[in-house]
Amino acid sequence: MKKRIVLRALLGALGTVMLSAPSFAATYDLTVDYVEIDTGTMKTRGIGYNGSSPGPTLRFKEGEEVVINVTNNLEEATSIHWHGLILPYQMDGVPGISFPGIEPGETFTYRIPVSQSGTYWFHSHSGFQEPDGAYGSIIIEPQKREPFKFDREYVVVLKDKHPHSGERILRNLKMMPDYYNRNQRSLGDFIMDVRKNGLGATLSERADWGAMRMMPTDIEDVQGFVGLINGMSPDQNWTGLFHPEERVRLRFINASAMTYFDVRIPGLEMTVVQADGNNVQPVKVDEFRIAVAETYDVIVQPKDDKAYAIMAESMGRSGYGFGTLAPHEGMRAEMPELRKEAPLLTMADMGMNHRDMGHGDMGSGETGKGDMAGMDHGAAPSGNSAMGNAAMDHGSAGSMPGMDHSGMAGMDHSNMAGMDHSAMAMGNRADPFYAAGSGLTPKAANGGKFLSYADLKAQKPLYADRPATREIELRLTGNMERYSWSINGVKYEDAEPIRLKYGERVRFKFVNETMMSHPMHLHGMWSILDTGQGKWNPVKHTININPGTTVYSETEVDEPGQWAFHCHLSYHMATGMFRKVVVEGGPAVATLKNGN
Amino acid sequence: MKRHDLMMKGGFVAMVMAVVPGTGQAAEGRTYYGFQAEQFEYRLGDENEKRLVWDADAFWGTDELKLRWQGEGERDLDADINEGLENRLVLQTPISDFFDAKAGVRLDTPTGTDRWYGTVGIMGLAPQWIEVDADLFVSETGDGSARLDLEYEGLITNRVILTPSIELNAAFSEDREIEVGTGISSAEIGLRLSYDLIDRSVAPYIGVSYERKFGDTADFAKEDGEDFEATYIVTGLRLMF
Amino acid sequence: MPSFKKSLIRHIATSTVLLSTLAGMQAPAFAGAGHSGGHGGASTDIGMPGQLSDVRRTIRIVMEDNFFDQEKIIVRAGETVRFMIENKGEFVHEFNIGTAAMHADHQKEMFMMMEHGALEADKINMAMMEMDMGNGMTMKHDDPNSVLLEPGQSAEVIWTFPKDTELEFACNVPGHYESGMMGKIRLQ
Repeated sequence: MKKRIVLRALLGALGTVMLSAPSFAATYDLTVDYVEIDTGTMKTRGIGYNGSSPGPTLRFKEGEEVVINVTNNLEEATSIHWHGLILPYQMDGVPGISFPGIEPGETFTYRIPVSQSGTYWFHSHSGFQEPDGAYGSIIIEPQKREPFKFDREYVVVLKDKHPHSGERILRNLKMMPDYYNRNQRSLGDFIMDVRKNGLGATLSERADWGAMRMMPTDIEDVQGFVGLINGMSPDQNWTGLFHPEERVRLRFINASAMTYFDVRIPGLEMTVVQADGNNVQPVKVDEFRIAVAETYDVIVQPKDDKAYAIMAESMGRSGYGFGTLAPHEGMRAEMPELRKEAPLLTMADMGMNHRDMGHGDMGSGETGKGDMAGMDHGAAPSGNSAMGNAAMDHGSAGSMPGMDHSGMAGMDHSNMAGMDHSAMAMGNRADPFYAAGSGLTPKAANGGKFLSYADLKAQKPLYADRPATREIELRLTGNMERYSWSINGVKYEDAEPIRLKYGERVRFKFVNETMMSHPMHLHGMWSILDTGQGKWNPVKHTININPGTTVYSETEVDEPGQWAFHCHLSYHMATGMFRKVVVEGGPAVATLKNGN
Repeated sequence: MKRHDLMMKGGFVAMVMAVVPGTGQAAEGRTYYGFQAEQFEYRLGDENEKRLVWDADAFWGTDELKLRWQGEGERDLDADINEGLENRLVLQTPISDFFDAKAGVRLDTPTGTDRWYGTVGIMGLAPQWIEVDADLFVSETGDGSARLDLEYEGLITNRVILTPSIELNAAFSEDREIEVGTGISSAEIGLRLSYDLIDRSVAPYIGVSYERKFGDTADFAKEDGEDFEATYIVTGLRLMF
Repeated sequence: MPSFKKSLIRHIATSTVLLSTLAGMQAPAFAGAGHSGGHGGASTDIGMPGQLSDVRRTIRIVMEDNFFDQEKIIVRAGETVRFMIENKGEFVHEFNIGTAAMHADHQKEMFMMMEHGALEADKINMAMMEMDMGNGMTMKHDDPNSVLLEPGQSAEVIWTFPKDTELEFACNVPGHYESGMMGKIRLQ
């Protein structure tokens, strides 16, 4: 990749002064190519950038304008979406929404005024090019010093590389939704369950699932992948070097098509300092789960002169990525023991508890008092008696700004254990972002601290906290048997766009009525995840919603134009869990053309 | 989620393999296609009869509307005749979360008498993972008949699968020309043990199949000097592409 | 555990040592050394509170989010230094002189304080306590090797360093030390 720093003539004369606003333009050239992806055990034809997959790491500076010339060397149209970047909508790279796409042989010039910093990524938004390898990472250096210190840094891009092309995977899923599920319960499991629980209980449990025609093993639609770290399989052992005592910043990006990873570095605590490119108040964890399309930046400080494993086991335990942090070249960390036992969904994930709680309570204009009553009601059946107390503590202390209008409501359906401070002190509170009793609730391999959304607090709020002007309910819906996914029961091609008004603050209520987790990604504008912490609510671009839960996020509608809003699981997006968002009003958007 | 909810049976057909349209993800309704041979097997009977049997299906279409071909046949390798040869072409649309309705035509062209039928039916997944294909037929001679196919896939392991199946045929009136009497006319019960050799694409299996004709239909067979029941050892491949 | 919480908050200002007792945690380094200046009997010699009259040098330390403006402090063995510390950040920060092990133990205490609401990201919940919070004298008398400052506050610490101990200055607010809000103190 060539990078030409072109100082604008006038500003160039000013010399080295740090300037705000677009002070200079950096130019990048990217080609989109067919490439060979070799994991050591399989070679497939895929799509990459500048001749390789993953593509390069683009390094931008906050305040500059970047110009990126993208040349399509494929025999099909392509596009690049700059995931998480705030930019004019014509530069957002979604064919049919932002622009027509980039035809074979064409060069499209993106011009992006960079107004943020942090870790992001880019990928094709055309067909299944992204699952097929069209992704790369972005680092944006901030203008100001960051609220943490590190001696060196690495991008750690996770990918679920599959031997089948994306097109073929979707066709197989359509023929047979469990085509790739090789973790189904078999006769052996049945016998074990009978031994453990008795014949009657086992039959009755099987009958419950059978009646729904759902499977508790339905956690990963697409198994059979190899986890890649920076394009390298566990055998190929991506290695990042360090000197003992150094602080190493790891910029984790989950560029997978379908797979969530549980990430840990045995022997090291990780201090999470950034989520989705935005700084968060540092939180020490032993392990974290990264949903598809999310990013987390962590700082580790390896003190010993030895190799440490970066272990990324998939949520359903059907695959893993592995790499090494090493003090010297040529080292390979000892492989941690794999957690072979795959999680099983429970009736809680099927939304059974969810219905008990009743969404009706959650209309507009809730008051803190009403919410608490609602919470007690909701939490009691699921056995979280601690909840009520915790909520009251907050109320009397008055220490949670904004909680009355939003905070507690956000926690409602997903059970309130996270608000229980006494439980938190024990370090093993239930994660409020999973349904009470969910089979997906993660546990750290070492029994320690597993990151929850509830731990994420904005380091410096991007927006003043204010009440949302309105709420939009988005039920995440689907039919696993037909492998079709939708929002409010309507697929993209049949749906009207979501219309937002420039200047409003809209509150999205995500109700997950499916048995799968969905990472919902709104393009072009930030999603302020409601963790019940008012102004400290973290600001993200991708919000994961687990089965049987309701999650709220708020968006300051501050970018005109039209945007995509979708589940970032490739085959959920492709089959209809997708919406166009139209922002009406606001400053007229200058007509931007292909810079050529 | 259970296997083959959307496509139950399969066969061989030359289909126009449509390319999934569009470059923008989810930009428009996608078109899908698929082929599956649930049975493609050699049968050896208890009296040393040899048969080649297939039961296959292919589809092309969207979530809302599919064109489906279903074909089955039985070739008597001893006599070199087609005992049965049946092709169906139906349009299919969802009517509930788990079931589709379908309607179309069926043409039987075995060695002997041909028949055209009009057909309506449903197919889908019943509770407890039972795959159902139920059809009504009215032939060109005005005779009505019905067929019910049930199948269950039991996972011995995640690759070794034991599949019991049953097919029941009934006729509402007699059609002597094709040797079908009124009432339950015939049944076939099978049990196949397969191994997923290459993904789900190729799965060799062995099994047993028991066929029996009933009532007048059985009598017609006896009059013709044919067996009204037979048991076979079967071996074959389940295919999916 | 509301009653626990109340008592915790009541006691936290008068003696953070009590916190560890109440929380049922064992933190000998913290209890002994972390506050050794005020109570004497340090197991590790980290120095002691100094007298203004002995001060030859003043070091200004600015706290930002989440770092100190200095990454290393060099003092002479046995020197008495006045630290003038100002919190220019938007979060609560601590300036604490101790060994790495003491800081590690103290971080557990601070984590508890935050989990129990005694400490929030941007404020110290001691308003209900009759303490002068206006001039940055927080906990000074009880905790001479450290100060905990809200945004905008400043304070001073006068410290007489020992002859040779590996010391660090650090902010032990949860996550801050790990983020690099610490520095070495080199004794010459």
